Amino acid sequence: MSDASHKPNYDFQVLGKPQPKKDALQKATGRAEYADDLNFPGMLHGKLLRSPFAHARIKRIDISKALALPGVRAIVTGKDFPDVLYGNLPKTRDYRALALDRVRYIGEEVAAVAAIDEDTAEDALDLIEVEYEELPAVFDIDAARAPGAPQLHDKAPGNVSTHSKSQFGDVEAAFATAHHVREDVFETQPIKHGMLEPHACVGIWEPYGKATLWSCKMSPYVVWRQLAMGLGVRPSDVRVIQTFIGGGFSGGKQEAMPMDFCALLLSKKTGRPVKFVHTMDEVLTIGHMRHPMRIWLRTGVDKEGRIVAQHCKLLANGGAYSSIGGLSIYLAGAMLNLPYRVANIRYDGERIYTNNGFCGALRGHTVVQICFARDSQLEMIADDLGIDPIEIRKRNAIEEGDVTANGLRIGTFAFRECIERVVNESGWRDKRGKLPKYRGIGIGCGGHLSGARLMGHSASAAEIRLQEDGTVNLTTGSTDVGQGVETVMAMIAAEVLGIETDDISYTMVDSETTPVDPGTFSSRVTLFTGHAVKRAAEDARDQIAAIAGEKLGVDPKDFIFKGREVINRKNDKQRAKLKDIVRWGSFQLGRMVTGRGAYTPAEEKIDFETGHGNLSPAYNPTACVIEVEIDPETGFVDVVGVWGADDSGTPLNPLAVKGQVIGATVMSIGQALYENLIRVDGKVMNPSLRDYKMPLATDLPKLANFRHSSIITWEPEGPFGAKEAGQSAGTAVVAAMASAIYDATGLRLTRLPMSPEDILFGLKAAEAAKK
Amino acid sequence: MTKPLVPVTLMVNGERYDVSIPPWRTLLEVLRETLNLTGTKRSCGEGQCGTCTVLIDGKAVNSCLYLAIEAQGKAIQTIEGPAAGDPVVERIQHAFANKGAIQCGFCTPGMIIATKSLLQDNPKPSEDEIREALVGHLCRCTGYVQIVEAIQDAAGALAAKEGA
Amino acid sequence: MTYLRRLPKFAYAGPTTLSEVTALVADTAPGEILLLAGGTDAILQMRRRERTPKTVVGLKGVAGLDGIAEESDGGLTIGATATLAALAASPLVRRRFGLLAEAVLQIGGVELRNVATIGGNVAGALPCADLPPALMTLGAKVKLAGPKGARWVALDEFFPEFSRTAAQPNEILAAIGLPKPAPGSAGTYLKFHDRHSMDMTVVGVAAFVTWDAKKKAVAEVRLAYANSAPTVMRARQAEAVLKGQAPSDDALAACAEEACKETKPRTSWRANGAYRLELIRALTKRAIRRACEKAQARPGDAP
Repeated sequence: MSDASHKPNYDFQVLGKPQPKKDALQKATGRAEYADDLNFPGMLHGKLLRSPFAHARIKRIDISKALALPGVRAIVTGKDFPDVLYGNLPKTRDYRALALDRVRYIGEEVAAVAAIDEDTAEDALDLIEVEYEELPAVFDIDAARAPGAPQLHDKAPGNVSTHSKSQFGDVEAAFATAHHVREDVFETQPIKHGMLEPHACVGIWEPYGKATLWSCKMSPYVVWRQLAMGLGVRPSDVRVIQTFIGGGFSGGKQEAMPMDFCALLLSKKTGRPVKFVHTMDEVLTIGHMRHPMRIWLRTGVDKEGRIVAQHCKLLANGGAYSSIGGLSIYLAGAMLNLPYRVANIRYDGERIYTNNGFCGALRGHTVVQICFARDSQLEMIADDLGIDPIEIRKRNAIEEGDVTANGLRIGTFAFRECIERVVNESGWRDKRGKLPKYRGIGIGCGGHLSGARLMGHSASAAEIRLQEDGTVNLTTGSTDVGQGVETVMAMIAAEVLGIETDDISYTMVDSETTPVDPGTFSSRVTLFTGHAVKRAAEDARDQIAAIAGEKLGVDPKDFIFKGREVINRKNDKQRAKLKDIVRWGSFQLGRMVTGRGAYTPAEEKIDFETGHGNLSPAYNPTACVIEVEIDPETGFVDVVGVWGADDSGTPLNPLAVKGQVIGATVMSIGQALYENLIRVDGKVMNPSLRDYKMPLATDLPKLANFRHSSIITWEPEGPFGAKEAGQSAGTAVVAAMASAIYDATGLRLTRLPMSPEDILFGLKAAEAAKK
Repeated sequence: MTKPLVPVTLMVNGERYDVSIPPWRTLLEVLRETLNLTGTKRSCGEGQCGTCTVLIDGKAVNSCLYLAIEAQGKAIQTIEGPAAGDPVVERIQHAFANKGAIQCGFCTPGMIIATKSLLQDNPKPSEDEIREALVGHLCRCTGYVQIVEAIQDAAGALAAKEGA
Repeated sequence: MTYLRRLPKFAYAGPTTLSEVTALVADTAPGEILLLAGGTDAILQMRRRERTPKTVVGLKGVAGLDGIAEESDGGLTIGATATLAALAASPLVRRRFGLLAEAVLQIGGVELRNVATIGGNVAGALPCADLPPALMTLGAKVKLAGPKGARWVALDEFFPEFSRTAAQPNEILAAIGLPKPAPGSAGTYLKFHDRHSMDMTVVGVAAFVTWDAKKKAVAEVRLAYANSAPTVMRARQAEAVLKGQAPSDDALAACAEEACKETKPRTSWRANGAYRLELIRALTKRAIRRACEKAQARPGDAP
C-alpha cells in the first residue's frame, strides 16, 4: 500500500485497522435470524403459481378446487390487488403484484396460496385451473425489434423498454481525424446474483393495524414505497423490517416482489402471518439478472493510440419488465467515460422487451459488460498499431482533476498506480508474450462510481443515541448484506467519539424507526451513509463537549475524545469518563445526547436520457492481471493467477475491503468463464446450482497467486478519505480474462462466457486457416 | 393420503428429541421446522450449496437429501452444537470471524461444520486439501480466500493446542 | 413445468436384511417402490415428481449390504450400499483398484460422497454416471438378487438402453464384483466438466490397459465412456484397433478415431455433440497414455 500524499495529518484510533464483522460470531453460531428462520404462532405458508407460457392471455382462473383442499386458507389472484402498476422509475412502471390478464414470461406469478404447511400449499397450486390463450412470443432482440413482432407492452411500441442517447463533443469530426478506427461487436450473457439465501418474507397485516413485512431486503425503503404503491395504501400504513440478509448483489432483494405483496394480502385475508420462501429453481427462473447485451463499439485513435472518438450502440435484452432498466442503460453509456479519456462520445443504448425473465441490477450493474467490450477493444487497437497493451492504457488514463466529456468530475483516481501495481505484482514484463504455449497473461481495466445521484431520493441520514454506560446506539437506513455496513459505520462513529467499535450497537432497518434511506446499492453506503454517521457522531460529540465543558469548566472546543474519555487538550489532567459526562448530563441537566447527521451530494441531478452530469461524488479505478493455462485439446481454462488493484480511497476497514474486492473479482471470473443462465424459447434450462455454475474453491488460484492491492488515496469527498470498494474490482476481470486467453492462444473472444467449446473450436479454426 | 405420523427419536447435539413426523420429511425440514434449530440453512435443496450441512455420526452430509426417519439412532450435530460447547467448533468459529471469512453468513454454518469434519480427518490439511473439502459449499461473497485462510488459522491453532 | 417441491407422500419401510428387501420388492407394480440408498439422486427425482413411489424402501439399515471384501481369487466384492467415501477410503480399493478410487473422487464433494453409493450410481442407469465406465473397464459384473436367488450379469450388458437396466422388476442390485486385475495393468478415468468439481460430466473416458513390458505394447485395453451415447458404453472396436500395438501417436490417433465412430454423443444445451466428439478424441488418447504410464510404473506388479 502506498501513496498517502492526499492524506491529511490524521491519526486513526479505530479506522484503518482490520476489524472483524460485528455480527460474525452471531452468524458463525447459527444465531443470526434470516427471513426463513422466522416463525410466528399460527403462521401460514405461501406458494406462488407461475406461468408455464412465455406469452399468454389469462382467460379464466378457477380457484374453487384449490380452496376446497383441506388446509388451504386463502388464495389471491391479480384481481385481488388494486389495478396499478408499480416499479422503480416513474416512466417505466410495469410490474404488477400478480399477473392480471396477461403473462409475459415463463415463471411469472399468477396466483398465490396460503396453507397450513408448504406441502399443502404446493398441492393446492396443482388444483388452480388457469385457462390461457397462448400468444406469439419473442425471445431475442432482433426478432423483438423487427416489424410485426409480437408486442409486450402497449406503452412501448417496438418493444423498446427504455433508451438512452447521448452525444458529447463533435464525434463525426473526431472520427474523421482518426489515424485508425475499429468496429467490433461484443456479446454478453445473462448472469444471476447467486446469493445463497433465496428470497423470503413473512407478512402480517393486522385488521386495524399496519401491513408489516419482515424480509431480507437490501433497500427496505424502496420496498416500503413500492408496497404502498401496489397495495394502494399510504406508505405509513406499511412497515418493512429488515432481517439478516443472506447475500444480495441487487435484484429481488432491492425491490418489492410478488411474494411480498401476496404475503401481506393473504395475511389480511386470513388474519394470520404468512411466510413465503422461494426454492432455488424459482430464484433462478424468475426475473432479476444481469442484462445480456450486444455492444457495437466503434473507436477512433490517433497515431499514439489515444482515443479521439468513440461510438457505442448497445442493445440489451431486458426481458419482460423494466425493473431498474432505465438506470442500467444510462449507466452503461456513462461508464464509457471511465477510466479512459474520451473527448468525443456518442452513445445509443436501447433496452428491448422480450418474453424472458426480466433483467436489472447486479453487482457492477452494466459497467461489467461495457468494460469488457471497451477494454478488449482498446487492446485490439494496441495490437493493430503495435503499441504495448500496458502503454496504450496508460496513455488514455483519466487523471485526478479531469472532467469527462459527460461531466464526471474526477477526484482521486490512482489509475496509473493500479496498472503499475498489477504489472509488478504479476511479473507481467517477464510473462506477457513470453510464457510457454497455451499459458498466457492478460490485463483489464475498469472503474466504478461511489454511489449514484438519483433523480429521486438521494440523501442518507443517521442518528446516534448515547446510553448512560457510555455506549452508543446507532441507526441509519442502510442494510448490511455482508459487506460490513454495521461494522464500518460503528467504526466511523467510534473514531469520532473516541470509543471502541464494540461500544456501538447498530440497529437493523425498520421503516418505523430508522432514518429513511434510498438503500444499499450503487456502492453508495460507505460514502453517503458514512458521511451521515460521521456528522451524527460529530453532533453527539459537540453535545457531550458542551456538557463536559459545564462540568469541568473547560471550553468545549478544547476537548479531545479518546479512550472513552473526554480530555482537555491543554491540560490532560482535566478529563472525565465519557459515560460519567453522559450520565451527569442526563441525570442533572436533563440533556439526552442524540446526534443527527445527514448527507446528500450536490443538488445537481443527472438526466438519464441525455446522460450529462456528475454522477457520483467519487470514482474508483481498477486494474486486474490474470494468468491462465489452457488445455489445447479440450479448451479448458485454468485460472492460475489473479492480481488486482483498485483505488478505493482510504480503506476504513481493510478486512472488509479485502472481502469485497476479492468477492467482486471472483463473481466476474464466473461471468468470464462459465456462468450463464441458458434459456431456450424463454425456458430456463439450468435452474439449479449444479447447472448454473458459480466458481468453487477449487476453481481459483492458490492464495499466493491471488492478490489484491488497495492503492490508498485520501478522497476529499469521502468520509475519512474513503470511496467504494465492492464493485470496481469486478469490472476489469472479464477483459483481463479475454486478454489472457488471447496471450495464451492468439484467440480474441468477444462473446461470453468464454467457454471451452468456443476456445477449442477457435483454436481449430485458426489451425485450419494456417493450412 | 392422510399423514401417517411416525414416531422418531433423534439425538441432536447430544439431546434426545421424540417427534412424530411423516416419513417424507427430510432431516433439514425436521431440524428447522420441528425442532426450530434454524442455524442449518436451506438454499439449493439438491446438495450443491452445502448450507444445510450437518454431521451424522461424525460425517458431513447434506441434510436436505437425508430422510429424518433414517437419521434415527444416529448422532446428529448441527451448528447449534452441544450445550456444553464444542471446543473445536468454537475455535473454527473464531477463526472465521477474525479472518473475515464471514460476510452475509448464509454459507457459514455449513462451512464451519464442513471444516470440523475436515480437521477431524486431516488435522493439517494443505491448501489444496482445504479447497477440495469445500467443493460442496458455495460462497458468493468471499471468493473463498478468507475462508481458506480461516481454516488454515483454525488448523494451526488447534494443532498448537494439541501439541501443548 | 415442475418446480422443486417438498417430497411426495409415501410410506417408508426400513428392512434390515436383503431377503426382506427382495420380499418387499416382489410383485410390485413399476414405480410403486423406490429403493433409497444414498438418496442423492432419488430424493431429487421425487422432489421433481419424476418418481412418486407408494413406498420408499430405505437401504441404509440393510446389514452387510455395504461391505467391501476381497475374494479368495483376488477379486473384490462391493456391496451396493457401500458409499463413495468408503470406497475412496478403502486401502484395498486404493491399492488394487486405483482406477475406481480415482473415479469416485471425481464425483461431487465430501458431503455427497458420504452418502452416495456405488449401487445408486450404477443402478440409476444414467449415461452421465462416472462409476460405470471405470467399473466396465475393470471387468465388473453386477449381482442381482431376486426372490428366487441371485444371478450375476456383466456390467457391459447391464444397460440395454437409456435409463434402463437388465434387472428384472423384482430384482435388485446387491453387489458389484471385480475380478483380480492382471499383472502390469492399470487404468485411469478422465472426466471433463466446466469447473474443477461438482459438475455433471460432459464426457467421461475410462481406459484400462495391461502392459506387455517385453513387447513394450498394449497387451489388453478396455475403453468405456460416459455421456457419449444413450448409455455408458464400451468401445470394443476402438479397443481392437489398439490391442497388441505400441501406444505410438499414430496408434492412439487411430484408436481415438475409432472411438469417435463408435460413440454417438448428443447435442444438448449442455454441450454440442461435435464438441463432445472432440473431447472423446482427445481424452481417449490422454487416458490410454496415462494408463500406460501407470502400468509401466508398476512392472510385473502382481496386485
